[in-house]
This record gives sequence, C-alpha cells and structure tokens, in this order.
Amino acid sequence: MIAIGLEGSANKLGVGIMLHPSDGSTPQVLANIRHTYVSPPGEGFLPKDTARHHRAWVVKLVKKALKEARLSVNDVDCICYTKGPGMGAPLQSVAVAARTLSLLWGKELIGVNHCIGHIEMGRLITGAANPVVLYVSGGNTQVIAYSSQRYRIFGETLDIAVGNCLDRFARTLHISNDPAPGYNIEQLAKKGKELVDLPYTVKGMDCSMSGILAAIDALAATYGLDGEQRDEEEDATDADSTPESDGVSESRKPTRADLCFSLQETVFSMLVEITERAMAHVGSKEVLIVGGVGCNERLQEMMGIMARDRGGSVHATDERFCIDNGIMIAQAGILAYKTGFRTPFKETTCTQRFRTDDVFVQWRD
Amino acid sequence: MPESEYNPPPLPQPFTNTPASQITPIYQGAEAHLYKTTFLSPPIPAALKIRPSKPYRHPILDRRLSRARILQEARCLAKLVKEGVAVPALLGLDWEGNGKDGGGSWLVMEWVEGCVVRVVLERWEGVIKARQGYMGGIEGEEEKVVRRLLRRIGGAVGGLHRAGVIHGDLTTSNLMLRPFSRIGDQKGNVDSGEEEEGGSSDMEGDIVLIDFGLASQSSQDEDRAVDLYVLERAFGSSHPRTEEFFEEVLSGYRESYKGAGSTLKRLEDVRMRGRKKSMIG
Amino acid sequence: MSSSPLETIHLPHLPLAVHAALYTDVHNAPYLRQQLLSANADFEYAFVDASMILSRAHALSAVFRAVNDYLNERLKSRNIHSEIVFSLSPTNNIADSFRKFGISDTTTSLLVVKVSVTPDITYESVAAHLAQNVQGSPLAFDDESLSGISNIAKIKKAYKLGSLPSTPSGQANGTQDDGKRRLEVSVQGAIALRGAA
Repeated sequence: MIAIGLEGSANKLGVGIMLHPSDGSTPQVLANIRHTYVSPPGEGFLPKDTARHHRAWVVKLVKKALKEARLSVNDVDCICYTKGPGMGAPLQSVAVAARTLSLLWGKELIGVNHCIGHIEMGRLITGAANPVVLYVSGGNTQVIAYSSQRYRIFGETLDIAVGNCLDRFARTLHISNDPAPGYNIEQLAKKGKELVDLPYTVKGMDCSMSGILAAIDALAATYGLDGEQRDEEEDATDADSTPESDGVSESRKPTRADLCFSLQETVFSMLVEITERAMAHVGSKEVLIVGGVGCNERLQEMMGIMARDRGGSVHATDERFCIDNGIMIAQAGILAYKTGFRTPFKETTCTQRFRTDDVFVQWRD
Repeated sequence: MPESEYNPPPLPQPFTNTPASQITPIYQGAEAHLYKTTFLSPPIPAALKIRPSKPYRHPILDRRLSRARILQEARCLAKLVKEGVAVPALLGLDWEGNGKDGGGSWLVMEWVEGCVVRVVLERWEGVIKARQGYMGGIEGEEEKVVRRLLRRIGGAVGGLHRAGVIHGDLTTSNLMLRPFSRIGDQKGNVDSGEEEEGGSSDMEGDIVLIDFGLASQSSQDEDRAVDLYVLERAFGSSHPRTEEFFEEVLSGYRESYKGAGSTLKRLEDVRMRGRKKSMIG
Repeated sequence: MSSSPLETIHLPHLPLAVHAALYTDVHNAPYLRQQLLSANADFEYAFVDASMILSRAHALSAVFRAVNDYLNERLKSRNIHSEIVFSLSPTNNIADSFRKFGISDTTTSLLVVKVSVTPDITYESVAAHLAQNVQGSPLAFDDESLSGISNIAKIKKAYKLGSLPSTPSGQANGTQDDGKRRLEVSVQGAIALRGAA
C-alpha cells in the first residue's frame, strides 16, 4: 500500500511517499522532498508569502517525489494532506493541491493532524513503542502520552511555542533564517558561556514562554546586542575564548552567544522538566522528541540525561524527519487509511487549530 | 541511546549516616524523592523529601530552582501550620543541600497516617460498581457518605485558600484521609486497614493536604479558582462516578471562608475560558 | 541527687553523639555566663535558658540544625555550641539570639548541651565537668519537666506567634494537647526556616 503525503502548515512544503508492504514488513520511505520558504533576516514568514511559495512549488515537488520513488500515479493508493493545525493560507494552498490531485487521479483523500504525523513518524523511525512524546516546533509545544485511542495532551505552552520563542529572538538579533533561525541560534549558543537570569515559568505540566522572550529581548536591548551584529562584538566574543578564570563575574557584559545560550538552557530545562513530570505521572521511561526544535542537540542531550537518571532512554530523529515533511503525513494517513478511515471530499477542509487529542487513534491498541 | 540501570540519587548529608533499615523509599516523583524515616525521636515516623540536583540543568539554574522551590514549599507548610490548616508540619530543612557532590536539598515533615483520597474513592467506586450490577443507581447511604467526604474536601481547600496559599497541584492523590486520632473521642475506625467493607467508616477522618511542591502564596481569586479548576478536572478524569457530586466540594468550599463566593464566581470564568478548546472545521 | 543528670542522645541521621542535661534552681548562672564571655575553652557548652524551651523536640530541632550546619561547614557563629543557641532563634541576629535564648545572670533553669565533636568529649568527661561546675537540681530532660519550666508567653513572643490561639482545631497529628502541639511545630518550622530570606 502506497500513500503520498503533502505537508505545508508552515514555511516548509513537503511531499513524501510511504510504502507499507503487504507482507507486513517494515514500512519504507520512497521519497522525502522538501522546499523551505526562507524570509530575510529580522523577518518572520508571512502567511500570504508562504502560501504563494507553496503554490509555486507543489507541482514540482510532487513530480520529483514520484520520479524519485519510481512510481506512476497508478501505484498510489491514497493522498494524505495536513488538515491542521498551522497557518491558514499555507494550509489552504496545500489542501487545494491535494484535492486537485484527488480529482485528477481519482484517489481518496485522508486529512491528517500535523502533530499526529510527527508522532507516528517518530515512532516508526525510532521504534519507540509507547513513549511520552515531547512535540516542539515553531507552532506547538506539547507533552503527549497515548491512552485508550487518543494522544492525550498532559502539558503544553500556555502562550507561544518554544520554536516561536527561539525564532523571534533570532529576529531580534537579526540572525539569518537560513537554513532555520533555530538552527543558527543553536550554533551561536554553543559559543555562549555565561548564564543570565531569565524567568523560569513552569506551572505543573504546562509552561509559558512569552515572559522569557520579553525578558531576553529587553536584555538584548539593554546591552545593545539587538539588531545586526556589530564588528566589535564579534571581536569581543573571540577575545573572550581564553580559559575561564572562575565562572561568573558580575560585571561582565553578556555576549549575543551568552544570550542564546541562556535562552536555550532556560527553555529547554522547562521542557525537560514538564516531560519528566508527565513520565512520572504515566509511569513511562521512554521519551520521543519530535518537531523542528527536536533536532536541537542540546535539547536531546538534556533529555537524554533526564531519561537516563530515570532508567530510561530518549528517542530523537534527525532533520529529515524532525522538521516538517511529507512522509510523516503519509505515514499517519496510511495508518488511518488501513483502518478504513477516509475524508469525504466535501470535508477536505483545513483548520488552523486542530487539537492532537481530537483524533480518534483507531490504529493502536 | 542505550537503556541504562536506574540509580537512585545518593542521599545528601546527613542522611548518608542513616542505616538503610531506618530510611525507606516511598515514591520517586519527577522532582523529588520521598522517604519514610524518623526525625528527632526514633519511634516517631517522619517524611523526608529530597530534591536531588538535576544534572541536565545548568548548575547555576539548578541551584537557583532547587533552592527556590524547597523554600517555597517549606514556607507554605510553616505558614499553614501556624494558621491551623491540616497539613504535615515542617520539622527540618536544608535548602542548600551539600551542593558539592550533587546531594540535594531536603525537608522533613510530619508523617501523615491514613490513605490518599484517590484510593478511598477508587475503593468506593469499586463497591458501587459491584452493587450496580443488580441494583442500579447510586443511592441512599453510599451517596450520603461520599457527599460528606467531598464536602469536607471543599472545606479543607477553603481553609488552605483562606490562609493565603495556593496548592498548585490539587488532585485526589494529594489529599489524605487521616483516621481520627487514636485517643480522640470520635468514633472513628482506629485501624484503617479494614478495606473490605467500603461502608461509611472508610470515609471518616480528617482531610490533610499534602505535597506542596508546586504551592505558592496568593490570595487572588484567579489563582484560587484555577486551583479549584485543577481539582475539578482531576475528579472528572480520575473518578468519573463522583463527578456528579463535585458540587459538594464547592458547597463545602463556599462555607469555609468569607471570600469563597467571589472565587467560585471566578471559577465559572475559568471553566468557560477552557484554554484547551479547539476550533475544528 | 547522686546519679548524673546527663543524657546521651543519638539523634537519628547524625553521626555525633549529643549530651544534654536539664537543671532547675541553678544558683551560679552569673559564674557560668562569665566563663562563656571570657571564652574559657573548658566551658564550651550550649547554655540555654530552659524557660525558653517548650519541649524536648523544640530543643532538639535546634541541635539538629546546628549539627547539620556544622557537618556542612556552614556555621554562622563561633562553634557548634554557640550555633545551637543561635539555631533556637527565628532571626539572623546572633547577639539577639543569645539575649533571648542563652543563659543570663538571672537564669534559674538551665539546659546544657554538648556535642561530641572530638573523641575526648565523652559522657564521662562531660558529666564530671558539669557536676563540678553547675550548681542546681538536675531534672530529666523531657516534656514533663519542661512543662513546669517553659515560659509560654515569652516563647510565643520570641517566635512572633502571639496570635496563635491556644485552643485550635485539628492539627496534623492531633494526638496530644492540640494547642501545645501546634505551637511546638510552629516553632520547629521557624527554626528550620531561619535565614531563608
């Protein structure tokens, strides 16, 4: 059985093709093509421009995916697309593309929840059977565990997503959005040493990010580190790489790297903490990190230490699967398709808000 | 990454001196480990709560959080004891721990005898379920008994809020039912081990609030209302059969202090707000 | 009384033995206090005005805290014995803690505590030295003796617990006299939290 998946809920347009062999052997990725809309430094991606990007690229990507998979249209069993959650205009552009293909090819449609896509792809790639899932991306921050036919949300952000927080700080610093603002923050954070005090806002299994963003933006402004990087700043960072005499000196002015480092250390600690709380609550020892921020090696490292101390382990994937892609939509879609699930044509809409726990997960025990 | 053996964190000073027979692990939470031990007097049980340092966190952040949280918990307990709210009293504390070799901060509390309300209600639900097979409906004595219990829970939460403390994690696992004192004149069941009855005697006792690891000091209606909302959701998800009696918790709460009315009004807003609503379609 | 009033206490979790003795009708408080003031090394004791002690648990809470701070090398005062007196205090003012809880010239009821921080401090050495130097009537170091000595009003004032009602409702281990129990655990909480700014 073969499914093609179309994803475009944010600035990544992805087309992927999954094969589930009829003998029940391991599913295979036949194609995983992605094209990203990159906005200029200091700017986020606007829905209108992102939708235009998706419309311009979707035909090319579908053709390329079929070619790479060495398939003809006839081999495809169903078309899976992201129903939500995400940004309205980009979602719509991809939904329209999916419908067009459906009418053109005469194939059935499966509307897929984006978060479920991440979870199912993560489970497939890592082999984690029943993990607590931390889903972290530009639009979502959720701690999820499976229980009787639902992926239940145990904790989540009360305001902005962690990826959004990092991306927006990248904008404050005018860091490049290529390949991704979060990736560039991560690289800069590796050079940071000094931890600045930031709010730490965990409420039970929920967390909040907006106050932290406001605080670090204010710090950047106070120290004149916002806006484009100045030359003397770069020198200061380099001159500073002599061995540390001893830890923290009060008077030292933080660098851009220190701010990125502190932001990561603080928000990732919060994420690991709420994940651990969910693990303790449901009695699980496995963690799966999915979503774009899940690529961050420091987050993976911190989660790994936590899981080890609980006698468990962490599962994460690399950027091919972590970052939004088409195969995850194909994978979640095909699982539903196999249980007989279809999205009737007139219901092939999309929705900006679509909760993970709204999906009836018929394919799991 | 490979799976590895679970190693409980080393005990901090001075519990490194304690013979293993005198310190029993009870529960490993996400943030804290609970032990049953003794404190100043060997025969009297006490609860030791340790917050081990978290190696995944930056050491400066770790120290800051660990210290702030154990102090927060200790302050809330001390304040509530002074106000006469039924909570385990704070007996000892070390918010520094011996940071050098990773030992954590700790606090010692009174040991509370009895059973958590979650278990009491699960037992009751089991009895009801068995009976419904041939009788249908929850009625008569069973209903009265559970209503009384829920009302007392409301009163206990009200007492907490009156004292200016927000629990932060109100679930039926953080409420204990402590049998009436052995020498008191109440007709309470001395031995809480009698499980088979499921009758009224099981539900007698004082409600004691425990685990103030997420507590804070506040007298704002919003914070109080969220506290109640968390409890309401916990009842809904853990004890669906008692959901229809949750009003008793609110009645008990309403009677417990003067400002309760405005908190309950706020609770309606909090429910309506329902941040977890979706907009499908 | 011929037998020594000294009791050796092994507090759970602590590796050091604690020796304690309670006296009433003490006649030579000014002499004892003078030895402290002149820093006479032979008189390195915690000399506590027993009227400021509510119960055995109250005193032992302070001892526990002082010994724990000693083990973690965090003493705020000169030595472990002055630290015991300081640990009785709910505030960070050391001089004030000695004024309120330490021996004064008018002290008639005295609690003496000595911790075996070195091997030469033994039951025998402490008992002999106290027998020679404390002029008073020994009492058992227990709640019954203390109940006849404690000045509840002064204790409440020192811990700013004046508003604590004497007949409260259910307290977390409502086995004995609830009012006293509540005062006791409130005092223990204050000792534990001292210095938590």
